[in-house]
Amino acid sequence: MTDFLSNVRIRSGNQMVAEGALRAGCKFFAGYPITPASGIYKTMIDMLPGKGGVALSAPDEISALAYCVGASLRGQKAMTATSGPGWALMTETVQYALMTETPVVIAMVQRLGPSTGGATQNAQGDVLLVENCTSGGYTIPVFTPSNPVECYELTHLAFTWSELLRTPVVVMLDKEVGMTSEDVDYMRIHDLTTLSRQRIAQSGNGSNGNVDTYYFEHPEDVPSFVPVGGKIKTTVTGSAHNKAGRLQKNSPETLEVLYHLQKKIDANANQMELVKRDVEDGARTLIVSYGITARTAREAVRRIRKNAEKVSWLNVLSLFPVPENKLRNSLHGIERIVIPEENFGGQYRSVIETLFDDQDIVGVNKIGSMITPDEIIAEVV
Amino acid sequence: MPQQYETYLVDGVKFPFCKGCGHTHSVRHLDKALAILQRDPTGINLVSDIGCIGLVDALFSGIHTVHTTHGRSTAFGVGIELADGILHDSDLKTIVILGDGGATIGLLHIVHAALLNVDVTVIVCNNYLYGMTGGQHSAFTPYDMVTTTTPSGNIIPPMDICSVAQSCEAGFVARTLATDKNLAGVLAKAIEYPGFALVEIMEICPEYGLKHGGIDGKKLKESIKEQNKPLGILVNRQDRTEFSVQYNNSIDTEAYERLKKKNEFTIKKEYTSSLERQAGVVIAGTAGERVQLSSYLLLNAAIASGLHATQKNDNPVTQGSGFSISEVILNQDEVYYTGIESPDYVVITSNDGLREITANGLLSRCTDETILLVDASLNIEGVKGRIKKLPLRKTFGADRAAVGGLGVCVGGAGIVPRDAFEREIEKRFREEGKKIISKIYELTDAKFFSENA
Repeated sequence: MTDFLSNVRIRSGNQMVAEGALRAGCKFFAGYPITPASGIYKTMIDMLPGKGGVALSAPDEISALAYCVGASLRGQKAMTATSGPGWALMTETVQYALMTETPVVIAMVQRLGPSTGGATQNAQGDVLLVENCTSGGYTIPVFTPSNPVECYELTHLAFTWSELLRTPVVVMLDKEVGMTSEDVDYMRIHDLTTLSRQRIAQSGNGSNGNVDTYYFEHPEDVPSFVPVGGKIKTTVTGSAHNKAGRLQKNSPETLEVLYHLQKKIDANANQMELVKRDVEDGARTLIVSYGITARTAREAVRRIRKNAEKVSWLNVLSLFPVPENKLRNSLHGIERIVIPEENFGGQYRSVIETLFDDQDIVGVNKIGSMITPDEIIAEVV
Repeated sequence: MPQQYETYLVDGVKFPFCKGCGHTHSVRHLDKALAILQRDPTGINLVSDIGCIGLVDALFSGIHTVHTTHGRSTAFGVGIELADGILHDSDLKTIVILGDGGATIGLLHIVHAALLNVDVTVIVCNNYLYGMTGGQHSAFTPYDMVTTTTPSGNIIPPMDICSVAQSCEAGFVARTLATDKNLAGVLAKAIEYPGFALVEIMEICPEYGLKHGGIDGKKLKESIKEQNKPLGILVNRQDRTEFSVQYNNSIDTEAYERLKKKNEFTIKKEYTSSLERQAGVVIAGTAGERVQLSSYLLLNAAIASGLHATQKNDNPVTQGSGFSISEVILNQDEVYYTGIESPDYVVITSNDGLREITANGLLSRCTDETILLVDASLNIEGVKGRIKKLPLRKTFGADRAAVGGLGVCVGGAGIVPRDAFEREIEKRFREEGKKIISKIYELTDAKFFSENA
C-alpha cells in the first residue's frame, strides 16, 4: 500500500530526470528529438521557460550540446538529453566540455544499438561507449537510476558533481527506466541541497595579478569558475593549454593541466561512490546490477529469499568512477558475483572483472527483451 | 572621460601567420572595428575555430576568448549568446571567427544561427582551402583551382556562404576583400547589428593559394567575379527581431501556468483495492485506437485505489499506424520487475495487436490461468488460457474498443474497483463515458469471470 497519497503523481523516468534538473537549478536546455529520450526534451520545453529558463530545439545533437556548453560557459547550469545515435554525435563536445572544465549534464537514455538500432527497444549496451568516449581515457562520471525517484535524485546529484568538479556528467538511463510510467510518491524524494556555481572573487589568482581561467594550486583542485562575458577576462580553449588557458605544447604546466583533469576526479572518487546495498549474512552470491536490471535483480532477490535462501544485492547508482570500495566491502563471504546486463558482452562485468580478478564473476546477458528474474536466479548459487 | 581604446591587440603583438597571409589583414581590421565601437573589452567575446585563423585568440588582450573545436565555433557562440541575451542583463557581443574549412564543417551551425537571428557576428575568412593541414581544397574552392587535393583543378562548384546566409534570413550579410580599406567599418557595422551578421572576407593563402594555385591579388579579384559573388554590404535588414527579445516576448505565462498545474496533478487514494497478488494486464490493438490512453486510465484508477502500478507502451516507430501495445502491472506492494512474465489478463482488440503479441512472444507466455478478452472478429488458436470472444469493435467502435474491453476486464475480474475505473472513463470521455460504461455492463458476463476466478 502507498503512504502519503496526497503526493502521488504518475511519472516516467524521463519526466523525473527533467524535474530533477529543474530542482538542481538547470536554467538552459537544448534538445533534439530522439526515442527514447524525447520525454526529457518535452518536459523541459513545457516547464523550463515558465521558470525563467531557456529551453529550445537545436538542429542536431552536436549543436544541442554545444549550445549547452556555451550557456554553461556564460555561467548557467545546462543539460541536454539523447540516446545512442545522438551520443555518437555529441562525443566531440563532451570532450570539449571536459577539456575546458565546463560543467554540463547529459541525460543518455539507451536503446538497442548499434547504429540507429532499435529505437523502441531496450538495451544497456552503451555503458562502455559513454565511459570511454574521450581521447586520452578520462573518467566521465556516470549515474544510473533504476526508477523515477532515482532519476530525480541522481540527475540532481549529476548537477552537483558537474559543478563541483567542473566536468561533464552523464545520467544514464535505459528505455525501460526512461519510458515506463508509474506512481511516484514525492514524499520519498530525499531533501536535496543545491549548489550555486562557485565563482571566483575579483582578485587575481594568477602569477601576475591576472585571473587564470584554469588556475589550481594542487592538481586535484578544481579551478574556480569565471563566466565568459563577466567582468573578468576569460581564456577558454579546448586545445592543450596552461593554467592561463594559453595553447602550449608539452610545457610542464600543460602536462600538469592534463593530469589535473583526471586527478580532480580520482581525488573525489570515494565521495562519489553511491550504491544501494542489501547484504544478507551468510549469502554466497552477490548480484551487482544497475538501471532496469536492478529492478529485475531486486525481484529475483525477493523470490530467492522467499524460498528461504540467501543472496546479497547491490544496485550501482554511480557506475563510474566504479564504486570500488563499496563493492569490495560487500564481498564478505561471497563466492560468486552475478552481473545481469541487457547487452550481450557483459560490458560492466568486463570492468568489474579487471578489479576483482580473484572472484568468480558470471554474467546474465540478453538483448531484444528484458532479462527475467528467473534468468538471474538460475545463476545464483 | 571614459578610457579610449586604440587597440585591443596584445602589446607588441607578433602575428603568427605567413608573410602575406590574408588573416593578418582580417585580424588588424577586426581590431580597428573594435576600436571604432569602443566597447569595454569584457563586453566582447571572440570565439575562434580550428585552423590558422584559430590562433587569433592569443593576439587579443582583455577580451573574452573561447577557442573551440572545428566548425563548432558558431554553435558555442550561439549558446553563450542565448544564455547572455535571455538570462543575463548584459550587452555582450559575441564574434565568431573561422575559415572556409570551419564554415564547411559547421555549416548547419551558421544556418541555424541565421535562422534564430541570435546576436552573433560570424566572420568567415575564405582563402579557398585548408592551409594548416597542407592546402587541401574546401567547399569554397573555385572551379579549376589547383590545390594539393585537386591536382587537375577543382571540378565542384564553390559554396556561396553569403547566399546561404541570405536564404536563411540573415539580417546582415557582407563580403569584402581582406585588403579592402573599408573592411573595419563593415565589421563594426556587423558587430553592432542587433542580430545575426555574417561577413565573408576573401583572402589569399600565400603558402598554398599562391604557390600552388597561383591565386595572387589580381587572380583573387578575377575569381570572385567569375563566381558571380558581389562585394560590399549585401543585406542590412531592419525587419527582424533579435532572438532573445523575441524569445522573452513569446513566453505565454498563462500557458506555462496551465502546464504547471496539469503537471502537478496528484492522485488521492479514494478507493480500496482487494487485489491479492500482482496482476499483469496487456492491451493489444491498433495505433490511434486509444490503446495506451485506456491503459493510462487503468493506471490512474489503480493508483487511486492505493495500488502501485506501472505502465509501458510499445508501438512501431511510426506513431499512428500498425500495432499499439500497452502493459500495466498492478500490485499492493512496490512493483520491482516491470516486465510481464506471464500475463494475467489480455485484451485484444484488433489483428494488428494480435499479430504483435504473437510475434513478440507474449501470447505464448499465457498460462491456463490467463484470461483473454478477444474481439469477436479475431481468429485465435493454440493459446493457453480462458478465452472469451466479445464484439468489442462492434459494440464500442474501433477507437473505444480498448477502453471498452478493459472496462469489461476490470468489471468482471475486479482488478481495480469498478467505480475507480468508471470515474476515469467519465473524466476522459465526459457524456459519452456514461454510454461506454453502460455498454461495458451489457458485455460483462459475470458467469465467465466467476467460473474463472
